[in-house]
Amino acid sequence: MTPFEEDLKQALKRQEPAGDFTARVLERCAQEDAKKRNGFWHGFWTAPAWRLGAVTAALVLVAGGTAYEQHEREVKREARGMEAKRQLILAMRIAGTKLQEVQQRVKESEQIEQ
Amino acid sequence: MGALLTATTSITTTREGQASLPPFASVVEGHKAMVYSIAWQFLHDRVAADELAQDVFLQLHKNWASIQSPAHLLFWLRKVATHRAIDAARKRKSKAETSLEEADEPTVLERVHDSFLASYLKRMVASLPEKQRSVIILRYQEEMELEEIAKVLSMNVSTVKTQISRALELLRGKVSRRLGKENVL
Repeated sequence: MTPFEEDLKQALKRQEPAGDFTARVLERCAQEDAKKRNGFWHGFWTAPAWRLGAVTAALVLVAGGTAYEQHEREVKREARGMEAKRQLILAMRIAGTKLQEVQQRVKESEQIEQ
Repeated sequence: MGALLTATTSITTTREGQASLPPFASVVEGHKAMVYSIAWQFLHDRVAADELAQDVFLQLHKNWASIQSPAHLLFWLRKVATHRAIDAARKRKSKAETSLEEADEPTVLERVHDSFLASYLKRMVASLPEKQRSVIILRYQEEMELEEIAKVLSMNVSTVKTQISRALELLRGKVSRRLGKENVL
């Protein structure tokens, strides 16, 4: 190392931070740990009443909405079933009428032959 | 302070591979000067350097489980401190950096006594371009090997060498011109 580099080394000697540096770092670390431990649920249960109320109302709204949607789906499905049944009955009636007509014509043609 | 040391030591548990690591509080105590000085060399502001050094140790605390050995710890601290300091210096560039040409003339006292050379050199180092400043700080403050500097700064060893010699050349020229040092080698 040259004398100039030695001068540089001297100039760039390490310096100490303020005396309470370690204590302050450890305090911040402890705060971080406490935050991590407490997490979401701690915050939830210790929240002010209005915040709990708002969360509960939101949950009720979501649950109510889901129930209403399910009910609507049931009603629509029932309506579709009834419509299908009506169309089936109508189709059977038409088929019955046609069958009767055919039988009638067969009878008439048999009588003419005799 | 004692209670805090105990609290954080118990919080920061060690894994099997970390058996050789000292407790977190001792790490802070043992390396605070290094981290603080790196920050200070880049920022030249005691409050900002103190804050940055605290942030580095807080980050270490969060990443404690990933530290495998004392050597890894030292490397990690130097790397994170240097990169954070570079980022912080960039943010406050206008304050921290002045070009070599703009750097203040030495005072009469600086010309008179060698101890003032140190403060002059510090100012000159602060005025170096970012890369050169980083390598000079790691080389002469931390006394790191070229290979280690290359790893910390993610550079080639040859680049580190080049940056160091360029920085030294600049500094020598500046010092010999301004302080009239005849024997700057």
